[in-house]
Amino acid sequence: MLNITRRRGERVVLGDDVFISVLEVSGQTVRLGIDAPRSVRVYREEIWLEVKRENEAAAHATGSALPADLPAPLKAAEGGETKRAAVNPTPPQQS
Amino acid sequence: MALAIESTRFGHVEIDPDTVIEFPDGLIGLGGSRYALLASDPDSPFVWLHCIDDPSLSLPVTDPHRFFANYQVELTDDDGERLGLDDATPVDVYVTVVASSELSGFTANQKAPILIWNGQGHQIINQAPGCDLRAPLFAEVMGNGPGPAEDAS
Repeated sequence: MLNITRRRGERVVLGDDVFISVLEVSGQTVRLGIDAPRSVRVYREEIWLEVKRENEAAAHATGSALPADLPAPLKAAEGGETKRAAVNPTPPQQS
Repeated sequence: MALAIESTRFGHVEIDPDTVIEFPDGLIGLGGSRYALLASDPDSPFVWLHCIDDPSLSLPVTDPHRFFANYQVELTDDDGERLGLDDATPVDVYVTVVASSELSGFTANQKAPILIWNGQGHQIINQAPGCDLRAPLFAEVMGNGPGPAEDAS
């Protein structure tokens, strides 16, 4: 791992367009400012990691059967700031 | 012409190219750039988000509004700008589901919903308060434990 010492107000540049500034150092805490193109996603590591783990756990489901007959009525999707638009579930055409 | 994939989960599946969803950034930590939603059972509330480029990658998702009446998605301003989304954009919302042998073990990730519109998809970090990484889907059904979803925090 590259190891760089920086002071408050100094920056690190990743590639040509990601700038990381040390804004504030206070005890055990460092405040960073990240200036990156919009296409670059920036996460706190622990959040990225927990979502990655949930995604992997979901993908590890065994088999292809999920409950269809549920033992209670589902709430209808009436809340509705979302609408079905361009994408519809596609029935699989298994051979 | 249909795209054919040899899914490790479903076997041979043909996918209408019109239903392909582009994920420019993939799923968080999982990657993949093209997915399709497959319904293995039309009556099930669950559909499978299946990667087209990786036949072994598929995960169950569901419409969170079917389970969590007050579910909301809030984007950071940065995400809103990055994705070009505003409140007026009609978007399909899905959450990933971790399946279990017991209904009581089924959970959904309210914190990282998948937004789909205009044939593209993005998984984002939800800023709405009270979102649970592992919200039980059937807690009320099973009658055990406190209500999961909209816990007032």
